[in-house]
Formats: sequence, C-alpha cells, structure tokens
Amino acid sequence: MEYFLEMKNITKSFPGVKVLDDVTLRVRAGEVHALMGENGAGKSTLMKILMGIYKADEGSILINGSPVTIQNPRDAMGKGISMMHQELNTVLDMDAAENIFIGREPQKSKLLNLIDREKMLEDTHKYFKELEIGIDPKAPMRSLSVAQMQLVEIVKAISADSKIIVMDEPTSAITEKEAVILFRQIERLKKQGVAIIYISHKMDEIFKISDTITVLRDGRLICTKPACELTDNELIRFMVGREITEIYPKEESSPGQVIMEVKNISRGRLVKDVSFRLRAGEVLGIAGLVGAGRSELAETIFGLYPKTGGEILLDGKKINIKHPRDAIEHKIALITEDRKLTGLNLSANVKENISLAALSSLAKFGVIDQKQESAAANRYIKELGIKTPSENTAVNKLSGGNQQKVVLAKWLLADPSIIILDEPTRGIDVGSKRDIYLLINGLAKQGKAIILISSEMPEVMGISDRILVMCEGMVTGEISRRDFSQELIMKYASLRKGEQPA
Amino acid sequence: MINKNGKRIINYREFGIFIAFFALVIILMIISPNAFARPRNLINILKQASINGILSCGMMFVIISGGIDLSAGSTIALSGVVAAYCAQVQGLPVIVPVLAAIAVGAIVGAVNGFGVAYAGLPPFIITLATMTAIRGLALIVSGGSPVYGLTKEFEELTNTFISGFPVLAVYFIIIVLISGFILTKTVFGRRIYAIGGSELTAKVSGINVKRMKLLVYTICGSLAGIAGLLVASRTVQGSPTAGDGYEMDAIAAVVIGGISMSGGYGKWYGTIVGALLLAVISNGLDILGVSSNYQKIIKGVIIAAAVYTDLRGKAKQE
Amino acid sequence: MKKVLALLVIMALTITGCGSDTNTPSASQPAETAQEAAGNETGEAAGDASDKTIALFMTHMSNEFTITLSGSVEAQVKARGYNYNVYDANQDAAAQADQIEQAVTLGVDGIIIEPVSVDGIVPAVRAAKAEGVAVVIVNQRISDPSAADCYIGADAATTGEILMRKVMEDIGGQGNVALLLGPMGSDGQVGRSQGFANILADYPDVEVVFEDSADWQTEPALTITENWLNAGKDLAAIVSQNDGMAIGAAKAVADAQLVGETLVYGIDATSEGLQAVLDGKLAASVSQGTEDQGRLSADACADLLEGKAVAEETIVDNVVYTKDNAQEALDAIKANG
Repeated sequence: MEYFLEMKNITKSFPGVKVLDDVTLRVRAGEVHALMGENGAGKSTLMKILMGIYKADEGSILINGSPVTIQNPRDAMGKGISMMHQELNTVLDMDAAENIFIGREPQKSKLLNLIDREKMLEDTHKYFKELEIGIDPKAPMRSLSVAQMQLVEIVKAISADSKIIVMDEPTSAITEKEAVILFRQIERLKKQGVAIIYISHKMDEIFKISDTITVLRDGRLICTKPACELTDNELIRFMVGREITEIYPKEESSPGQVIMEVKNISRGRLVKDVSFRLRAGEVLGIAGLVGAGRSELAETIFGLYPKTGGEILLDGKKINIKHPRDAIEHKIALITEDRKLTGLNLSANVKENISLAALSSLAKFGVIDQKQESAAANRYIKELGIKTPSENTAVNKLSGGNQQKVVLAKWLLADPSIIILDEPTRGIDVGSKRDIYLLINGLAKQGKAIILISSEMPEVMGISDRILVMCEGMVTGEISRRDFSQELIMKYASLRKGEQPA
Repeated sequence: MINKNGKRIINYREFGIFIAFFALVIILMIISPNAFARPRNLINILKQASINGILSCGMMFVIISGGIDLSAGSTIALSGVVAAYCAQVQGLPVIVPVLAAIAVGAIVGAVNGFGVAYAGLPPFIITLATMTAIRGLALIVSGGSPVYGLTKEFEELTNTFISGFPVLAVYFIIIVLISGFILTKTVFGRRIYAIGGSELTAKVSGINVKRMKLLVYTICGSLAGIAGLLVASRTVQGSPTAGDGYEMDAIAAVVIGGISMSGGYGKWYGTIVGALLLAVISNGLDILGVSSNYQKIIKGVIIAAAVYTDLRGKAKQE
Repeated sequence: MKKVLALLVIMALTITGCGSDTNTPSASQPAETAQEAAGNETGEAAGDASDKTIALFMTHMSNEFTITLSGSVEAQVKARGYNYNVYDANQDAAAQADQIEQAVTLGVDGIIIEPVSVDGIVPAVRAAKAEGVAVVIVNQRISDPSAADCYIGADAATTGEILMRKVMEDIGGQGNVALLLGPMGSDGQVGRSQGFANILADYPDVEVVFEDSADWQTEPALTITENWLNAGKDLAAIVSQNDGMAIGAAKAVADAQLVGETLVYGIDATSEGLQAVLDGKLAASVSQGTEDQGRLSADACADLLEGKAVAEETIVDNVVYTKDNAQEALDAIKANG
C-alpha cells in the first residue's frame, strides 16, 4: 500500500459553478502533505468532501486501498479522519478539557452516562504538558486568547487518535515560538505513521515541514511534487499562474511630519506606559508575541476601551478619545484582528458593510442617498479588486480575503489619516495579501500614517519602515528598517520578567 | 434574490410568508364565501389587524436591534387607563388623552431602554420586570376596575371611516410606512440593523450603541402607548386588564413576517403580512365557529414553522 | 456596581408589581383600596373595640366584582367592631393556601375565603378549623363544604338560569344565540354554562350557533363578536357570562348597527354594566348580590365569633336589572364607592 489516502478524480459542482474538476490527491502514511492554492482554488471544498460535509459528484475515496463512503463528519472521525479548522470550532462556555473531549468524554459509567471529569482533566493535563502548553485545563474557553484557543484545537485533533489530520491554517494566530511546538508534535505524529494534510499560506512554514506539496488552481490539480523539488517562485507561479517577483513589494518612503504622538498610554495591566511617535506617510510595524498587548494598545488608542493613563496628541494638540466615534472623527481607523466578530456585519451585504462607518457623510437630513452609497461601494469593489457578484451580495458569501477587503473599504471610505491594521492578512491567500500590501504602500504614499500589527515576521519586516516591539504590555525595543532581523525582534519580544528593555 | 450566475431565484426566507398568507386567504374564501369573503368582513380583518400591527411595528424595531420587549401588553393597559381618565373630562380636546397615552408609553419604553443599554441587563429580564410592575401600576391607578364614561370625540378616534377604510387601518398603514421608511432609508434605521447584526462591529464602526438602544425601546414603548390609546377608544373604556398577552401576538407577527429573532435581518413589510395573517386566522376560525383554544394551537404551529423557515434560510446562507 | 444597583431596581419594580400579592410575612399588609380608606372612619366610630381579627382572602382584586365584594365585607366587619385584613391571591391557588396558613399562624380569629380553587384550599381550611378559627366560604363552594362553618354565595347555575330565562322571554323563545364564556374550566364558567344549558334544553327553537371564551376581557369579546356578526347568521341575542365581555360585545353590535336586533346580556351588574343597561347597550344584567354576599359573610363570621348559630348555607338572591330598575342600583353603588 503505497498511499494511505487516495481521493481520485474528484469532481464537485455547485449551482452554476464547478468547484473541483477531476482532482486527485494521494497522501502517504506518516507524511506531511501540503495543500496549496489561492482562495477559491478548491482546497476547502476538497477537505469538506474528505470530512463528509459534502459528497463528491464524481470520483472515489480510498483508505488503505479500499473504497469508502464518508457519510458525515462523525463517520469521518470514526474512520480516523479529523480536522482542525481555521475558524475555531470551540464552545466558549465550556472549559478547555471539555472542548478537547467534546463528543467523546471519558465515562465513569456507561449506563448512567456520567462523565469522568477527573480523567478528562488528567488526560488534558498530560497532553498540555507534552506539548508544553501552559493553559489550565479548567480554564473557560472564553478567557483564552485566540492563539490559546488554537492550541486547544490542536490538542483536540491530536488526542482523537486520528490517522489523518487535516490542519487548516493552524499557525495563523500563534507566534513562531508556539508554532515550533506544533511542528515538534507534527514530527511525533509522523513517526507514529499519521498523515497530515497541511493547508497554509505561509511559505516558509510549508517548505520547513512538508514532504509533498500539491497545488490546486481554479478547481484543478496543477501539480504534486516533493517539497525539495520546488522553489518559492515556482510554487507561487503554480498557485497564481503568473510570476510574482516580490512577495512584499516595498517602495522607498519619505515619512513626513509627526502626525500623532502617544505619551505614556496605559490600560491597567494590559498596556503599560507606551509612548511613540507616528509620522505621516510611514508604516510603523508593531511586533511581539501573542499576549504582548499590541491589539490592546490599538483598542485603547481607538477608544474601544478607556485608558487608565497617558495622553494622545494629534498634530500637537491633545485629544480625548472615549469612544470609537471620537477616533473616527479624528480620522483614525482600526481594522480589527477578528473581522468576523468586530469587523463585519455578517447579516448585511457588501454595500451595507462598506458604508457602515461613513453613513452620515452619505446622507442628507438623516436619509441615506442610495445612489451615492451604491457608487461608493462599487468604487471600492473596483479599486480593491473585491471579488463579489454585486454590491448587494451577502458579505458572508465572500472568501476571507475579499471579506478583509470589504473591511478595508469601509475604513477607507471614512477617509482616515491614521490607519491601524491588526493582523490584516490573517487567513488570506497570496494574491489578496499582495493586494493589501500594495494598498498599504499606496496609502503611505498618499501621506497616510499606518500602524501595522502583525505576528508574521516576514510580513512585518517586509512592509514596515520601522518596527516597535512589545512584550507584556510595554514597548521593549524600536528597530529601524536597516537593522531589521528576526533574531533582534525575537529578542525584544521575549524579554523575561525583570529584564530591562533595551 | 440574484444568485452567483445572475439568475433570479426565489428567496424562500423572504417570500414564503406571502405565499402562505395568500394561500390561507384563498382557502378561507372558498370554504366560506358568504361570510369570510364579504367586503365588510375583509374590512373588519384590516381593523382587527391594525392594533396588533401598530404594536408589531414597535416590536419590530426592538427585535431587529437584537432585543425583545415583553412589557408591551402591560403598557397598553397603563396608557389606556391614563388616556381614559383624560377622556372622561368633557370639553378637554381629544389631543390630550392622545399625548398622555404616548407619553406613558414613551416613559415605560425609556425605562426598558435604560435598563438594557446602560445597566447592561438582558432585554428579556428587564422587560419581564416592567411587564409585571406596569400591570400592577395600571391596577393601582385605575382602582381595579375599568375607567368608563368617555367622551364621544374619544370614541370617534377609532370609529370613523376615511373613504371607506376604517380609520384604525389608516393609522396602521401610516405607522407601518413610516417605520419602513425609517428602517430602510435612514441612517438611524441602518444603524439599528447594524447593532442587531453585530453589536461589536457597530461599536467599532463608531455607532453609539447605548444611545441607539435607548431610543429603540422608547419608540417601542411609544407605539405601545398608541396601541393602548386605540384599545381604550375602541372599547370605550380604560381597562387595567387590557392588552394581556398582546406582546406575544406582536412578537408572533414580527417573527412570522420574517424578521429574525437574533436581530439584524428582516424586511419591514413582512410585519404587515404577519399581522394580517394572525387577524385572518382569528377571523376565519371565529366565523367557522372554531374555539379560541384551537386557534392558539394553530397560531403556535405557524410561529414554529416561521422560526424554522428562518433558521433554515439562515443556515443555507452560511 | 452598576449591575447590583440595576438588579435592586428590578427587584423593587417586581415587588411593586406583585405588591398586591401578599405572600411573605413582612408584606402581609392590608391592600389599600379607596373603599378601605372610607371604611376606616365608619369602623372606628361604631361598635366596641375588639381585639379579634377577621381576614378576607380574595381570588384577585382586579375587577369591580371583587372590589365591591371586598369593600362590603370590610365595611361590615368594621361595623361589627372587628379588625380587618385582606389578602389577594392573584388567581393562584397555592398562594391562597399559603396565605391562609400564614394568617392562622399569626393568630387570626375568623376568615372569609373567596376560593381560587374548589379543591386546592380544602387542606388549609381544615387546618384553620383545627386551630379553632371560624371559616366562612363566599361566592364559590369548595369541594368539601363540611370542612368550613358555612357558605354564602350566589349559585352559579341559578344565576345562569335566571339570566337565560330573561333572554328567552325577550326573544320569544326562538332564534340564534351566541354565548360568551369565561376562561374554560373556571368555576364561574362551568356553573353558569350549566345554568344556560338547563334552560336552553326547554327551547328547541333556539339554536346556540356560537360559543367561545373571551377570558372575561372586553377587547377580545369585541373582536370575537365582530367576527360572529359577519358570519351571516342573524343573532337574536348574545349572552355573556360577565359584564366586561358584554360591554365589548355591545360595542361590536353598535358598530354593526344592529342595536335592538341583536340583544346583549351580562352578569355581575357592575356600575359599568348598569350604566350600559341604562344607555340601552345591554338589555339586562343579572347581579349575584355581590354587596349582599359581602355583608352577609361578614355578619356570619362575626356571629360565629360571638357564639351565635349560623345557617350552613345562605344563597343570595339574584336580581335581574333592566332599564327599569338599573338606576337605583347604580346610585347605590355610587353612594358606597
């Protein structure tokens, strides 16, 4: 048996659209098989068929040489296939241990259906220890950060004793340090003969850990090759169908005057005495580990939460921001970390989302000028290259990259001078990422000031003019572009308690 | 309504209710051509749908914003009693009881709104409390029995016709059109949908969520005040026990009309169909001699069906 | 902190709302009514001061019938020189049983009960008797009358019969009638319906074409009647089990311009009902001797406490009020109120 899993000649259509066209995927036991492609290439549909969420129109699935039919996700799990989703599948009101064992809780007595809570906690504790995850098994999910929730998701998939684990963007919300832990665990799984299908847009990761790479484009299989036989550029060319000479297009910038000065801003224990200056036309990157307080800093500046100390000066004048409304009036924009929760109204359409922060400017006497609104929406759909059937399409139908562009459009319409971006390219395909980088460059050129919070080191180094590093709520270092290096950033980002920042 | 390929597809979530409504009307017309289908009866249905319809408009605002108001029925009683006291005074212009009723409703609504927006209480809880308290207040203020002996002008508020249409229906149509306009065409309305769709996103986008919620509940209370006024005029008495359970019919009309209970979704004209549908059911079943207990069962089934359709439509969209 | 304050506000509101529901020891204060304020003066002036207390337990205090009943009990209790307490069970049988037990524990001497449920309060009654408390049942019999000392009330079936006889007289014993009932299964509804049925059995030319409950409420009655009137069956009479619903039905009849063709009848003879009779909206309303029930039950309770003999059962007369005699009754109510 050369291959553990074979998905042969899979074809799947939805009304009017062929999503997968004769795609074949072969995965060996104990290998890490990367599945790559732009958003819309068909990766998630293929995985959903594997998980039993969809049924293929044509084609077959074989496990260990025998054909199988997968009825539903439960059936898939029963056959040893499990998936770690990009959109976290956690139950917020339960604690970590309960989430890990959900649906297969260890039982004290089969008859009475009593859950053996001690065993559950014990097992969870064991896994956490092995993986060096410092989370309390009893911690309610709600209290965990996005990154911590992801780690719990990882443990869930690992503990279900699966033979194939599909990992969908597993490191999108965790830092390099935590990713290393994951990769170590993946190594261990490989040795046990577990096959891993790894979906990610982070190229350096892909090349670091995968054995084989399969590329899909527009629903078709483009190639399947051993990772060692591919280069960066070749891979991108396969994915996108054209040369992309630079992943991070960066132009020379000439930052102008100081537009904002943040002085000794504090917010309880989350943000401690942060000060910095921001110039028009510059891109200021903020790097750091998860929990460093970067998002919290952004939220405080934007007025989402009240500050407990310090002041903000705009063009030299002190301003008082108590609510996002005030920030918007001062021409500040915040693209938040979690677009689904705080960036988009998923019950509304593209146009309604784009106009949301600038409604009063599109209205006369409180009545919305529908024509103006439509025109504005269409302008941004064109300018940002948002792929959508129309401005009236429900925004929840768009892919992640296009959704993010809608969020950007909303803020651009509000005509900000300062734009704060918190993880703007998380979970987005290469093509859209590049669009966003180009956009950032363009905005900086127009004289806007940009703050870019990112956990992806290559990204923050590729786009920023200067980087602030934060650790445990404080700014621990400032690095200018010519001194950029991953080691330097990591050093500042992981200053131990008690150590003095440079 | 236009899918990926640009083809028009029927959105069951939005139009299912219209289909159900017309089907029901046609069935009843066939079963009872001499009674149900008579013009005077159809006008009666319009009249009977109006009070619930007006209440439903207020409820619609609240539900779209992601909340609920259980106190609307009690507000009907209190505002009706207060209006009736004013209407007992001969010679007092009829505008006085009208304004009094609206004011009472607005105050109750503001109390609810304050509780939800500024004290952070779940709407279900605070409006449950006001529902009980305001009912008690109505009994106290009225001394336990209906306030009667009201002026003719007050009775005329609901007893006249405008070019063949009962004036109650005219009030309903005006209020529902204004509500629809606010919800679809104004910044205020758009913000209500935004809050219901994603409160956090609305806040981040600069919307003053607290103030909006206070306004929304005040609007609902004011419309309940108007409904109370109309009930008092229609029965020519201010009864402290009036409106008992009316908030349920209003919620039913809104839900049947396709407004999602989770907020942020739904078309205003659905509420018209919801209110008419409920009135048609009562009217048709009364004429056929079916006891009101069976009517309750049937209403319950329809509400469940409406919520089910809403949830399935929602799941399909995701 | 804000949340705590808010919760306190909620609790305060809820307690106000349930203010008439006097369950807890600390809240067992007499409910304030307008009549009580007036009654206070007459009570203190007449009779010897007595240390004994008579308590009244009402099903609810939210319509004129109950208010009139409790008002006349109170006036007579005080006139006889006793202390007076009243409890409102808000239509909850369990709550009423609790209230009775609690009052007995607090040392009440005599109790007058308007029962929420015929079975539900029997244990509480027995317990009260065991403590030597005098027990009078008013308006509605309990399932074990021997548990109490006596019963005073109107007979629901008799009330129904008397009204239906008047209706038959007025419509000449033939035609279609519609019945508006109280909440299905409630004792008022069951008894009165039985009375209606007893009389209707003798009139084969009268057909009951519609029968439905409007829960004692005016607006629902209006809506139902509106619909009935549109069903194309000419109605000779609409007979309602209380005045509240009758008033609603009368409005519908007036709107449909059928006054005089479709006659409307009610029960209770409340002031509103009597006014409607005088105005020609209702053809008649039958009283259940509300005032008398109250007075006689207070007297019976006082008599028991003074060691006098009391009849086991006293049925109060129903009176049919029409345009001819409604005025005096109305004046009487207004004088007392």
